[in-house]
Amino acid sequence: MGSAARDDIEFRSVTKAYGAVTAVRNISLNVPKGAFLALLGPSGCGKTTCLRMIGGFEQPTSGEVLIAGSGMNGVPPYRRPVNMVFQHYALFPHFNVEQNVAYGLRQMRPRIPAQEIKRRVGEALEMVRLGGFANRRIHEMSGGQQQRVALARALVNRPSVLLLDEPLAALDKKLRSAMQIELQTLQRELGITFVLVTHDQEEALSMADLVCVMSGGAIKQLGAPQDVYDRPADLFVADFVGKTNHIQATLEADGRTLRLPDGSALDVGAERNIGAGETTLAIRPEAIRLTPGGEPRGEGFAGTVTHRIFLGSSVEYSVSVPALGDFLVTADRSTDEGQLVEPGQSVRLGFDPAAAHLFPASHAAQPEGNTHGQQT
Amino acid sequence: MANRHKENLPITAQGFMDEFMRLKRGSVTRRHFLTATGLGLATAVMSRVPGAISTPAYAEDLGSQMSIATWPNYHDPATFENFKAATGVAVEVNVFGSNEEMLAKLQAGATGWSLFVPTNYTIATYHKLGLIDELDLAKLPNFSAASENPRFTKEGQIDGKTYALPKNWGTTGFAVNTSKIKAPLTSWKDFFEIAQGEADGRAMVHDYQLTTIGSALVSLGLDFNSIKPEDLAKAEELLIKVKPHLFAINSDYQPAMRATDAWMTMCWTNDGAQLNRDIPEIHYILGKDGGEIWTDYYAIPKDAPNKAAGYALLNYLMDPKVAVKEHTANGAPTTDSRVLELLPKEIVSNKIVYPDEAALTPLEFGAAVTLTDPGRAELMARFKSA
Amino acid sequence: MVTAMLLGPAAAWLVVFLVLPFIAIIVFSFGERAPEGGYQPAFTLAQFANLGARAAAFANTLTLAPIGALACLLVAYPVAYYLAVKADPRHRMLLVSLVVVPFWTSMLVRTYAWMYLLGGRGIPHLLDLVGFSDVRLLNTPGAVLLGIVYGYLPLMILPIYVSLEKLDRRLLEASADLGAHPFSTFFGITVPLSLPGVMTGIALVTILLLGEYLIPQLLGGGKVFFIGNALVDLFLQSRNWPFGSAIAVTLVAVVVMVLLIAMRIAWRVAGTRQVDLM
Repeated sequence: MGSAARDDIEFRSVTKAYGAVTAVRNISLNVPKGAFLALLGPSGCGKTTCLRMIGGFEQPTSGEVLIAGSGMNGVPPYRRPVNMVFQHYALFPHFNVEQNVAYGLRQMRPRIPAQEIKRRVGEALEMVRLGGFANRRIHEMSGGQQQRVALARALVNRPSVLLLDEPLAALDKKLRSAMQIELQTLQRELGITFVLVTHDQEEALSMADLVCVMSGGAIKQLGAPQDVYDRPADLFVADFVGKTNHIQATLEADGRTLRLPDGSALDVGAERNIGAGETTLAIRPEAIRLTPGGEPRGEGFAGTVTHRIFLGSSVEYSVSVPALGDFLVTADRSTDEGQLVEPGQSVRLGFDPAAAHLFPASHAAQPEGNTHGQQT
Repeated sequence: MANRHKENLPITAQGFMDEFMRLKRGSVTRRHFLTATGLGLATAVMSRVPGAISTPAYAEDLGSQMSIATWPNYHDPATFENFKAATGVAVEVNVFGSNEEMLAKLQAGATGWSLFVPTNYTIATYHKLGLIDELDLAKLPNFSAASENPRFTKEGQIDGKTYALPKNWGTTGFAVNTSKIKAPLTSWKDFFEIAQGEADGRAMVHDYQLTTIGSALVSLGLDFNSIKPEDLAKAEELLIKVKPHLFAINSDYQPAMRATDAWMTMCWTNDGAQLNRDIPEIHYILGKDGGEIWTDYYAIPKDAPNKAAGYALLNYLMDPKVAVKEHTANGAPTTDSRVLELLPKEIVSNKIVYPDEAALTPLEFGAAVTLTDPGRAELMARFKSA
Repeated sequence: MVTAMLLGPAAAWLVVFLVLPFIAIIVFSFGERAPEGGYQPAFTLAQFANLGARAAAFANTLTLAPIGALACLLVAYPVAYYLAVKADPRHRMLLVSLVVVPFWTSMLVRTYAWMYLLGGRGIPHLLDLVGFSDVRLLNTPGAVLLGIVYGYLPLMILPIYVSLEKLDRRLLEASADLGAHPFSTFFGITVPLSLPGVMTGIALVTILLLGEYLIPQLLGGGKVFFIGNALVDLFLQSRNWPFGSAIAVTLVAVVVMVLLIAMRIAWRVAGTRQVDLM
C-alpha cells in the first residue's frame, strides 16, 4: 500500500474487462512522484488500457486508480490533473500551432487572461524549440515538429502527470533518438511524473527510470531498467527486454549441474533455487565469448559461423552449434582485437556461468520465447 | 380546361398510371394517389403490357398500340378495354393538366399521340401551327353532323373543313359549400367578395390563366377574354388583393372541397356534378355576370404515328352507344342529340349538367388569343409569385 | 487507351444528356418567343433584361432555400451526431438505412402523405378533438418548410454523418484531456471538423431547393412560387422557352456560386482541402 503523499499514481487491484475479454487483470502499482515510468510490453498486453485508465478515457471494471492520492473512479478526463501526448499526436487540424497549445489554457476556470495565455504558450513553444512556428498550420509541420507541438500542448497546462502513448513510434530512427534525450531532459527539468507506453524495449530502457514489463494484462516485472535487463524475473521478460539465447537442459538435483542436450554437463557456478528438472538456460548475446578456431576439445561449445552482421562498434554473429541450435553472439570491437570472423569459419563459444539465467521449463511455454528474443 | 375528376370511382391501374405520370410532371394532383401506391404501382405496370391477347383483325391494319392525350378521369375505363377487344389495339392514355401543356408537348414534337382532346379555343392555334390534320369524315361513319348542336361544334371547323369532332361541352362556374357559407352567391363579383370575407382562407381559384383571369375580369364587368392591358391591370389588382385570402391556387380542388379544407372554388361542370351528387350541400353556380362555356374536341396530330388506329378509336367513340357510357362516366353534357336520347333521365334533368338556356346566355367561349397572349401569362406569374 | 474506353460511355452520356441540353438552353436564352409560343432564333439580351419580371420568384427561392437548408440542418445534425457518435456500432448500419429507406419512395408520395396529414382530416382534426379548433396547417409557408425539411432530411444527414464518422475520436479525447467540458469539445472540435459535411449538406439541399417546385405546389397551395414553379409555367403553360432558358441559365449561375462559397467556407474552417461532395 503506497502512501498518497509520495505516490503520484497508484493502481489498487485494478481490473478492466471488455465483455468477455479481460485487458487488465488485478493490477496494483505505485509510481512515486517525479518518476519516469515506462509501461513496456507487446501489443495487447494491457499497457495502453492502463494509460487510458489514468487519463480517464476508460473506467476500471473493479479496483481504483488514484492520482496524487485522490480516487479517480467516475472522474472524467477533463477533471483530471494529467495530460496526454497521444499516439499520432491528435493535434487539432483546424487550429494553428499556437491555438493548439493554448487550447488547454483556454479551458481553465477561472479564465486565464489572454496576455498570460500568450506568454505561457510562447514559453512552451520555446521549451520545445518551436519559437517561430506559432502561426503555422498543423499540416505544414513535419512529424517531429508535430510531436513537439503535442508535447507543448500537454506540458503548458503544468499537469501533475504527463502521459505519453507511443510518442515516438511515428518518427524515424535518428529523430527518435534525439527526442528520447529531449524527453528525458525535459522530465528531469520539470520534475513531473511521466508515464510512457511503448512496445520498444530500447526506448523504455533508455528513457525511463522505472520499467514495468506487462504481458497478458498483468505486470511481469517492475524495476529499474538495469535490474530488468540484468535480472529478468522470467523467461518472458528475458526475451522481451533485450536479446537472449536459450538452451533447453535438465537441472540435476544438486541445483548447479546442468545436463545439456549433447550429453555434456555444465556447472552454473552457484546453486540455483528453482528445483531440479526441465530447465531453460538464458544467456545474453554480449555475455558469450567467441574464439576463432575450432579445436574439438577446447573450452565451451564448438560451432560454425553462419551469418555476420556488421554494426560498426559491434558485430553480431549467428553461430550454429551441433545439438544445441543457433546462437546469437555480440562481439564488442573496442575490447576484442577488432578482427572479424568470416562466415563458414569454425569457432568456440564460451560464457561465464554466473551470467546465465535459469528458468523452470514451464516458463518456456511463452510463444514469444524464440531463440533470439524480441527484436525491435 | 384543366383538371376534371371523378373522386368516387375506384381507381384503375390505368388510372393510377395516368395520375402518376401527371403528378410526375407536376401538374396538380389526386387524393386517390395515396391509397393506390405500393402494390398498385406494380399492378399498373403489369397491366400495361400491350398486345398480350390478340383479337380479330380490323379491315385495315391498325397495329397493336396507339396513344391518346386527354384529361384525367375523362373516359369510362371500359371504353379502351372494349376497343382493344374489338380491334386488338391497346390504348396508352396520357393525361394532362392544361391545354397549354398539351400544346407545349405538340410544339416540342414526337409526342407519339394518335388522338388528343383539345378544348375549343385552342383548335385555331393548332391549325395555324400546322399541328393537326383535316379529318377524313369518310373514315368516321359513326359521326353524324346532323345530330350535333352547331353551338358546340363550330370551332372544330375552319374554312369549311373539319379538323376536330366534339367530345362534350361544359361550363366553368363555382362550387359553394352552403353548410359553411350562408351568404347567397350568384355572380363572380360575389365570389371574389365572399372569398375575402365569409370564406376567408377557404376559397380556391384555378391555376389556369383562362378561367382565373377571365372570371376576375367578368367580376369587374369586363370581357372574359380581354387582353387589353388596362383590363388586365384591373384584374391583376383584384387577384393580388384576393390572394392572401385564398386557400390555394390549384386546379385540383375536389380533395380540398371534400375534406372541407376549402368551402368554395372555381369549378367545371363535371366536378360540380360529382361534388353535388356526393355532398348535396355543395352547390354549383353559374355567374349571372358571365363565365366560360366550353367544348372539348377530338383531333388527330399531323405527326400521329398510327393514324389508322386514331381514326378507328375516334369512330368508335362517336358511336352513340359508346358515347353514352363516356358521358355517364365523366358527367359532362353531350353535344350529340342521338346520345342525349340514350342518356338516363336523371342525368338529362340535372341542372348542373344541363342548365337552363337563360343561365348559359351570359357565358362566353374562351378565345384563341388568350392561349398565346404573353400579357395573360405574365399576369398569372405575378399573381402566383406575389 | 483502356481508360479512354472505360470513360467513353460516361463522357458520351454527359455530353448527350448534360452538355448538349445546356448548350441548347444557353442558345435559347438569347432567342425570342415565337408568336404562338416556343422559340425562334434571334440574338437579344431581352430575356435577361426581363429577369426582373420573376424577381419575386427569385426572392422567394433565395430566401426559402437557405432557410429550408438551415432548418434541415438543425434537425439533421443531432440525428447524424447520434448515428455517428452515440449509436451502438452494431445497430449503426440499420439506423443509417432507416434514414435512407424513405428515399426509395417517391418524393411525391411522401409529400402527398403530408398533404393528407396537414389537411382538415389530419392533424387539425385531432387538434380539434382536444379543443384547438380551426387550426390551419396546409397551404401555409410553415407547411412548405415542413415539407422541405422532411423531404431533404436524408440529403443533409448523410454527408454530416459521413464527416462525423470519419472524425478522429482521439481529437475528442485530446480535447477532454486538455480540460474541455464535453460542451466545449462539441462546439470547439466536433462542429468545426464536421463542417465539410455540413457545407456539403447545405450545398446539396440548397441547390436542389433552388429547383424545387413540387413542395410549394402541393403543400403551399400554389401560393408559394419558387423559381422552379416559374420554370414549369414558362415551359409548360406560357411556352416562353427563351425566357425560361434565361432563368434556367441564371439559376445555374446562382447554383455554381452557392457551391463555390460553401466549399470555400468549409475549406477555411476545417483547414483542409479534402472537402468532398459525397
